Amino acid sequence: MIGFVARRLLTSIPTLLAVLTLVFIIVRIVPGDPAMVILGDQATPEAAAALRARLGLDAPIWLQYGRFIAAALTGNFGASMVTSRPIIDEVAAVLPHTIDLTLAAMVVGVVVGVPVGIWAALHRNGAIDVAARLLSLVGLSFPVFVSGIFLLLAFALHWRIFPVIGAAELNDIPDRLYKLVLPAITLGLVMAAYITRVTRSAMLACLSEDYIRTARAKGVPWRRVVWVHGLRNASLPIVTVVGLYVGILIGNSVLTEIVFNRPGLGKVIVGALNQRDYTMLQGLMVIYCFIIVVVNLITDLLYGVLDPRVQQA
Amino acid sequence: MKKLLIAMALLAGAAPGAGYAQTLRIGMAAQDVGRLDPHFAVSTIDRVAVAWMFNGLVRFPPGSIDPAKIEPDLAERWESSADGKSWTFFLRRGVQFHGGFGELTADDVVFSLRRAATAASSAFSADFRAFETIEALDRYTVRIVLRENVPSLLGIVTNYSGGYIVSRRAATERAEGFARAPIGTGPFALERVTPNASAELVAHPQYFRGAPQIQRISYRFIPSDASRDLAFQNRELDINYGRADQTWVNRTRALPGVTVDVFEPGELTILNLDTTRPPFNDIRIRQALAHAVNRAEMVRWRGPDVSREGQSLVPRGYLGFTADNGLLPFDLARARALLTEAGHPNGITIRVVHTQLPEMLSGMQVIQQQLRRAGITLDLQVVEHATFHQQIRQNLSPLVYYASARFPVADIYLSQFFHGRARVGTPTAVTNFSHCDMADAQIDAARVSTNPAEQLRLWAEAQNLLVRAVCGVPVMETLLVFARRNNVDYGYPLTGSMSLGPLITEATRITP
Repeated sequence: MIGFVARRLLTSIPTLLAVLTLVFIIVRIVPGDPAMVILGDQATPEAAAALRARLGLDAPIWLQYGRFIAAALTGNFGASMVTSRPIIDEVAAVLPHTIDLTLAAMVVGVVVGVPVGIWAALHRNGAIDVAARLLSLVGLSFPVFVSGIFLLLAFALHWRIFPVIGAAELNDIPDRLYKLVLPAITLGLVMAAYITRVTRSAMLACLSEDYIRTARAKGVPWRRVVWVHGLRNASLPIVTVVGLYVGILIGNSVLTEIVFNRPGLGKVIVGALNQRDYTMLQGLMVIYCFIIVVVNLITDLLYGVLDPRVQQA
Repeated sequence: MKKLLIAMALLAGAAPGAGYAQTLRIGMAAQDVGRLDPHFAVSTIDRVAVAWMFNGLVRFPPGSIDPAKIEPDLAERWESSADGKSWTFFLRRGVQFHGGFGELTADDVVFSLRRAATAASSAFSADFRAFETIEALDRYTVRIVLRENVPSLLGIVTNYSGGYIVSRRAATERAEGFARAPIGTGPFALERVTPNASAELVAHPQYFRGAPQIQRISYRFIPSDASRDLAFQNRELDINYGRADQTWVNRTRALPGVTVDVFEPGELTILNLDTTRPPFNDIRIRQALAHAVNRAEMVRWRGPDVSREGQSLVPRGYLGFTADNGLLPFDLARARALLTEAGHPNGITIRVVHTQLPEMLSGMQVIQQQLRRAGITLDLQVVEHATFHQQIRQNLSPLVYYASARFPVADIYLSQFFHGRARVGTPTAVTNFSHCDMADAQIDAARVSTNPAEQLRLWAEAQNLLVRAVCGVPVMETLLVFARRNNVDYGYPLTGSMSLGPLITEATRITP
């Protein structure tokens, strides 16, 4: 197991370096001057030049790249060009909110998506299957800024059960959980729609296999056939989708964060991009890539648990 | 289920709509604050907040932007020499900085003004171009000597832009960190910023005008208009940044217990035309475009409560503004005739760079439709906002739709938008997109004139020259809009604010 983890981590290093280089290049190719964003529209070229020098943006590009890679390797990401707050502090302030939302959405997605997917597969082409497919299509088609606003109108304005502003103090756990409910449902339902479809198709494939027919023929109870023989074998594509989707959720939760006024990594990334905050973007991308690598590693490890042949390979 | 959820709400101790009597909750349309160092506070969200934390030597009375009413702030009085080049400010005694940083002295004032005048430490250094020396005569007296006269010295040292006074000790000790832990003398001090969520401010009990009646300000960053409006409606906010849109104003006014404040300064939208390049190097095409703009229709579209027609290349109400300037009226037939005369009987297509910022994009789309009626087709190249700002400064757009408000004296607007020195693409560039320079002599002479009548005459002449040359087409002025619950009493009538948001003072209170 340790060898497996070490191999996976080592193979991640070139990926990380490639991503860092791409990020460095892309943020500089995009038009827009950070000095103008910081100084505003009345700034003189003299003031902009002075600021660029202070921020190190007047240095040769290779030197800027060298500084960035050296900083990334030492874990010192510096400070935001715009707010001058240390990047690591900014991330530390928002990451717990992102983790809360991602995990909660994942739980909602799995708890709703897997049973509905199995149920639909067991009633293939029946009314339940059609309803599940239709609902999952609706879930995939509904943007979160629409479903989120509907939930707010119902649960915040009409029934007044939840607040509109979803930002909670980190050390206030009950408040954190309470304010997580609506955003988690909003984001989780989209994930549930994906998982429903994947679970359904994976289960349909499994249920037509010979070993299922054999199990049924030798008298194994149907419930056991479905949950043990079927789901266990259908779980690999489901875990793959969940793993991939968690990575997407971390970055793509930005709309949910905006609608529910929650701090989060996605929102910080978009803000940094709008403000051409190079240092912040670079630091965020390093951290984001690292999270994706970790999530992929956990997914791979789960493959090994679910199917020992993967580890042996 | 519903009972369970309500129980959770109670357990969390944050039932929606629960009021915090001594905390003023303000919702702002922004993702985060930028720099809370006042000398770098350029965005609306930053300007609004620093005005609660800092003072100038003098100030606009709360709720006013009339330069004629500027009154003492940190300076209790001032004197100026007969030639207007030497100014002496006498400081109040006993003014305390936040966080135990001690009493304000002349050293802090000298440090602050020199810092604001330096390009490396301020976004407003250009405002201080005429300053020759800033020196402390004694612990409570500061003298400023000017190289040349300026239209309003008091305007530069007021509670606006580079005029804010910071603690010398805090700025020196904290260096770069000062932007995230600023120290001023204002009624509120910064406690902390939660990135992407809020800035929390606490009352400064030693504030020299008396301890504030409100204990805390929670300044919340809510970029989604819909969510911010819902939060305000749900009583989770006491003050809400509003939209300059008649429908929004009408809808919000209809809410029970809510007041919508519409106030100055108006942001003037101008279509700046590059007079040095085709097609606008032909004055007939510029005139055709000017005749095709229907200002009354623009005001009907934006809303009569929140906008008014632009009447000059300087916003109305600014010292030196004149409406008597030869502005071309809306006349479609004349516009078409001028186009034909200029060799474009079948109309003309112009490629224009524009921002995707919704408020500016929608305004430009209305203009696009108006011009189409006259045969002028705008081929809009919509780019992201930072890209827009970069490209219009690289002369990549012959027409620039630009909306802005400045210190309410004609000189600032004319110098930044229509003086030859400010032409984009030059080392002294600011925002002169038209490249016009025909009024330079009048603008320069007015700036140093000590005769107010002569100054007004020169500014009027400059506007006449620029409007008749169609360097730009004024479209409309859009006012600021904030909504508040009726139990919020600012302590003054809000008719204007140079910080672009309501000033929260020691007198502001929340009534039960």
